[in-house]
Amino acid sequence: MKVLDADKLTDLAAALARAGYRVVAPIEDSGVVRLAEWTEGATIRTDVIPVNSAKDFLFPRSEVIGRWDLDGADFSPRDVQPDATKTVLLAVRPCDAAALALLDTIFNWDYKDDFYNARRRAATVVPMVCTAADEQCFCTSVGGAPDATANADAMLRSADGGAKFILEPLTDKGNALLDAAGDAAREGEAAADPPAEVPHRFDVDAVTEWLSENFESALWTTLSLGCLGCGACAYACPTCHCFDMQDEATRTQSVRLKNWDSCGFGLFTQHAGGHNPRPDQTARWRQRVMHKFSYIPERFQLLGCTGCGRCARLCGAGMSMSEVCRRIADESKKAPAHES
Amino acid sequence: MTQTEANTTDSAEAFEPRIVAFVCNWCTYAGADLAGTSRLQYAANVRIIKLPCTGRIDPLFILKAFEGGADAVLVSGCHPGDCHYTSGNYHARRRWTLFRNLLDLTGIDSRRLFFSWVSAAEGQKFADLVDDITGKVREAGPFDPTNPARRQPWT
Amino acid sequence: MDLDRLRQDAAAVLKDGRAKMVIGFRDRAGDCVPAFITDAEQAAELVYDETCLVNPAAYLKKIELKRFRPVAVVARPAVMRSLVLLAAEAQIAADDVLILAVGDQEYHGLMDLAGAAALLNEQYAEMPHDPEVMKRLEELSGLTPEERAAFWTEQFAKCTRCYACRAACPMCYCTRCIVEKNVPQWISTAAARHGNYAWNVIRAFHLAGRCTECGACEAACPQGIPLMLLNVSLARDVEDEFGVKAGYDAEAEPVIGSWNADDNEDFIR
Repeated sequence: MKVLDADKLTDLAAALARAGYRVVAPIEDSGVVRLAEWTEGATIRTDVIPVNSAKDFLFPRSEVIGRWDLDGADFSPRDVQPDATKTVLLAVRPCDAAALALLDTIFNWDYKDDFYNARRRAATVVPMVCTAADEQCFCTSVGGAPDATANADAMLRSADGGAKFILEPLTDKGNALLDAAGDAAREGEAAADPPAEVPHRFDVDAVTEWLSENFESALWTTLSLGCLGCGACAYACPTCHCFDMQDEATRTQSVRLKNWDSCGFGLFTQHAGGHNPRPDQTARWRQRVMHKFSYIPERFQLLGCTGCGRCARLCGAGMSMSEVCRRIADESKKAPAHES
Repeated sequence: MTQTEANTTDSAEAFEPRIVAFVCNWCTYAGADLAGTSRLQYAANVRIIKLPCTGRIDPLFILKAFEGGADAVLVSGCHPGDCHYTSGNYHARRRWTLFRNLLDLTGIDSRRLFFSWVSAAEGQKFADLVDDITGKVREAGPFDPTNPARRQPWT
Repeated sequence: MDLDRLRQDAAAVLKDGRAKMVIGFRDRAGDCVPAFITDAEQAAELVYDETCLVNPAAYLKKIELKRFRPVAVVARPAVMRSLVLLAAEAQIAADDVLILAVGDQEYHGLMDLAGAAALLNEQYAEMPHDPEVMKRLEELSGLTPEERAAFWTEQFAKCTRCYACRAACPMCYCTRCIVEKNVPQWISTAAARHGNYAWNVIRAFHLAGRCTECGACEAACPQGIPLMLLNVSLARDVEDEFGVKAGYDAEAEPVIGSWNADDNEDFIR
């Protein structure tokens, strides 16, 4: 097997960069760990989950998808090629990789998103097995696991009590990555460390079932009270994928942009005629939960949440998807009111 | 020609400041008009945007000017007490006090941002002001293209 | 701090109907998060410490909470100022709120908005600006404009336009924010350099004379952008130039909406 010392991840990053990969890894920046493009000198940290997800590199915050040159009343389109830079998503988490199942589906469902697909094809996904989890992690409640290999091209497994990593290829892309790694990963033996304990937090099937019958429940207001309607959770979420199209023009150039959007924003469903079918945060939170745990499962037989917990860690107002699901699951278990 | 003049006219790259002026209709615009009808010669670097009153000037306009390529911005209106709408310029004055400090904090300083009261009778003042500002901005150089307020071309 | 008295007061107002809801804080696995209490028994879970940085006055924006008026709010001085200012800006009526006033050291008790304003003017009239922020502003003022521009370019590059700062701020209550106006689109919604600059600078400016320096925006920012540098700088200028601090007078005119004949104009030619 191929192993590397745990403190030599930057050597691996450097080797991959020399081999032509754009290396994305969890980088420390003023005390915050963020998935970002690795450059010489950057510190890679694997002890805490990064605040952002791997989604940022397959579906970026803002992307140009159309471009025109303008000349008076004339305009001519310019060729816009999707970014297909060969990229390695190094030491992301299994919950990031699990999300790719949904993103791959959504971006190839009613239309094929060339921009997502180009980046996706060019990406080699290398999750790191989680050997630690915190209160907000709940991958095991949504069909995931700290050592899940779904959508991974290779896995980094902590070994020998954290002193080493095993780099295990799983696909052709993974094999190519190992070739490119060269001496940065050497032949050797190591014993994989056990993955983190992530306690089961709620019964997701009970949640999905309750959702199908309780659209009008008063519980929605109670559950959503803390939410102030920003986009922090949707932006950090590895599965959230809504976007807004925006055209920006000067006298000489026009671009069409795809920008992240959030169903939490007050005007997300504002109609041109003035009506808003989701006029308050109660309705918007209900939508958020139902999208992830009811509509997506119904349509795609997948969950819209991978239990990474980023939303809860970021939310200053104390909203937590796992807490909400727990309360829904508890509610679903209450005995129905006695009717005589 | 003197040596310095030769240098100026020979240089194909001589920097000509692009200055946007937000002015009020009743005072400064009329003053600029007077400068014209009086056939005063002054620097041609200012693009004037006329508004009914300085009270209408949203600080966002100033930002948009820098965003779109201005090297400097002039904001000018009626003297206090002379506002055609009575108090528009008093409101503007408060905004400018705060906004110019905020812009200075974030990297757009007083080499680039000017405020004045120019009345309808002050054609000469307008001409002199534009000459002075243009000279100052020419000396300060082009607005830094890496400044965060400037719109970048999309890559 | 006498949290028991706070909890008793909260329970009492719910029990006797003086308030339909108490907005305070609870502990969730070591973190201080907002609590929304409608039953007197729940008052026992109320907590308070210096990590409770959410400004509960921001919840008064939510239309689905309007039926829970009067509402009692656990309010530190900056939050009391937000409530007084919301009344001054006609966003709430004085009898919409009760205040469970927490100070820097002690629980002051239950009071109405007028009582909170009196408390602020008696005991918290001299709220100093955050010394760390002031120190940083001092350092920035010693840099060249180009260096300051570079600093802010780096800070705003982190902005993802999630608008958590806006959501967390009680004074950002516009149903259509300037960034959501698109005829024309004044501020670019892309996370590009000029759009991020315009958003953060204009938001700060729209709070000129209205920011009570509660710090909720900076605490809410997922990217750790030092927003208080902008807000404190403006609040300090408002105080220096116009002698006003936001949120001490429920009858006060808005700073930007008013003027004095002798306002400074030494920079105007």
